[in-house]
Amino acid sequence: MSPLSRAAARCAMWLVPDERRDWAAALWAEADQVPPGRARLAWRASGVRFVVREARLVARAASALAFAAAAVWLVHVAWPGPASNPATGLNRLTVVTLLPALAVLPLLVRWLFGPVAPGPLARVLRYGTYAAVLVLALAEAVVSPVADNPAAAPLLNPDAPSPVKDGMIATWLNQSVFLFVVAVYVAAVLALTARRPRVAPATVAVGAGTGLLLGAVMYAIFPLGLTSSVTNPLLPGFAAFMLVALAWILLFAAPAFASVVAARRYRGLRHADTAEEVGPEQLRKGRFLQGVAAGFLATAIGALTVAVLGTATVALMPRSGWLLARLYPGRHLTAAAAYLPELTASVRVTHYLLVLAIFPVIGLLIGLGGGEAADTNMPPGGGPPPPGGHEPIPDPSAGIGVAADDADAPLAA
Amino acid sequence: MRSPSGFSAQTLSVLSALCDEPSQWRHGYALARQTGLKSGTLYPILIRLADRGLVEARWQEEPVPGRPRRHLYRLTADGVTAATAALATASLTATPAPPASRSALTPRARRGVAIPGAS
Repeated sequence: MSPLSRAAARCAMWLVPDERRDWAAALWAEADQVPPGRARLAWRASGVRFVVREARLVARAASALAFAAAAVWLVHVAWPGPASNPATGLNRLTVVTLLPALAVLPLLVRWLFGPVAPGPLARVLRYGTYAAVLVLALAEAVVSPVADNPAAAPLLNPDAPSPVKDGMIATWLNQSVFLFVVAVYVAAVLALTARRPRVAPATVAVGAGTGLLLGAVMYAIFPLGLTSSVTNPLLPGFAAFMLVALAWILLFAAPAFASVVAARRYRGLRHADTAEEVGPEQLRKGRFLQGVAAGFLATAIGALTVAVLGTATVALMPRSGWLLARLYPGRHLTAAAAYLPELTASVRVTHYLLVLAIFPVIGLLIGLGGGEAADTNMPPGGGPPPPGGHEPIPDPSAGIGVAADDADAPLAA
Repeated sequence: MRSPSGFSAQTLSVLSALCDEPSQWRHGYALARQTGLKSGTLYPILIRLADRGLVEARWQEEPVPGRPRRHLYRLTADGVTAATAALATASLTATPAPPASRSALTPRARRGVAIPGAS
């Protein structure tokens, strides 16, 4: 094997996932058996295609480019601003801390918890969380200059949070907590969708699905920031109390439902490579983990959803006539008249931080109980196995064959 | 395109090649020559067959001096059963293909190589 070929083989093995390394090495070693010339070149060229596909290089490059584009956009939006507005410094803090954290966290989580779990769901949740966090940071960068504007302070209620009244230390502390919470969200989602914690795809589906539903309901009630009453101007006043009560019931019911369903549905993970059987003790621990993970995901995804949608709505409010007309139908709001609702909503948006910080803790606690309760109600050994046997970790390359249009032309041997 | 056996035409050609001498370990290049598939198509098929437990793989124990060790493949017992059934199904359902869809046939089938199990 020539030094160039050896370097290419090493590069290929570094790129492909662990479980595919032997195969990449085999393909490259086999090239030495192919007659030199065009046939060997064709073997290696096709081998490069194999590496590109197995290493998901196109998807990796596309996601890196998308992240870079979003980062540039965030810098473009968040960095400029007058020095007199405290929000300018806070937005710059977001840029210099959040973007490096988002770039480094996947590497750190991969080192601690292994690569992404097989199956499309784990990847979809990861991409979705990254997109949500970047949109939240962008919207926050647009909204905070309005809420923190010192000139607007006299217009605010005495109890409304404002850097002018609270002081800069409290404001910076508040922003640091926000950034820390967002980093914890990203780290938690990355860890739960990694291979080593062995969270079942069904658990991720139940947790994320319930979370999206919770977030959508919360957003329908509180689209313009969070207060003790409904902030949706479209909802009738008489239903406000019932809707707020529904939101609180859902906050506790959603993680309880998700954790019990995920724990009861779990029958053990069997990896296709090892075909290892699941013992009763392992099953009990696994079920508990699924309950906790589903409870956490339900509230974390719910909180992230309502925070992202709400902050984005407030950020778009003064820029989108269509949105303003939807929120306040029948009222022709001039720019000056729209300023007060925008200012009010911008201040209320800061309360989403409470949602982001508290919801996942509630979900985690309920998930701990749900996982335990579901396990104690199950028969010893978890009852009969499901018709299809234990739940397998799905093969990322599901399907046994290669589509006809995906095949190479016959090898000229 | 999948055949009624559940395997693609390329996978069937690999199963057919491995079925020739099920007890023998085969090299990737030998399989590529026999099936006419390029490495980038052959190896993903072998991987998926191995993931399903239909193919077993091991490294050569005594490599030729100066050459890297080779990876060897053969059908498992389950693989022989599945391959025989799939090839029989494929041969039963095979109909003369119109010229436009000839590319869907395996290269081996195009060259008129007999598929084991086909009557």
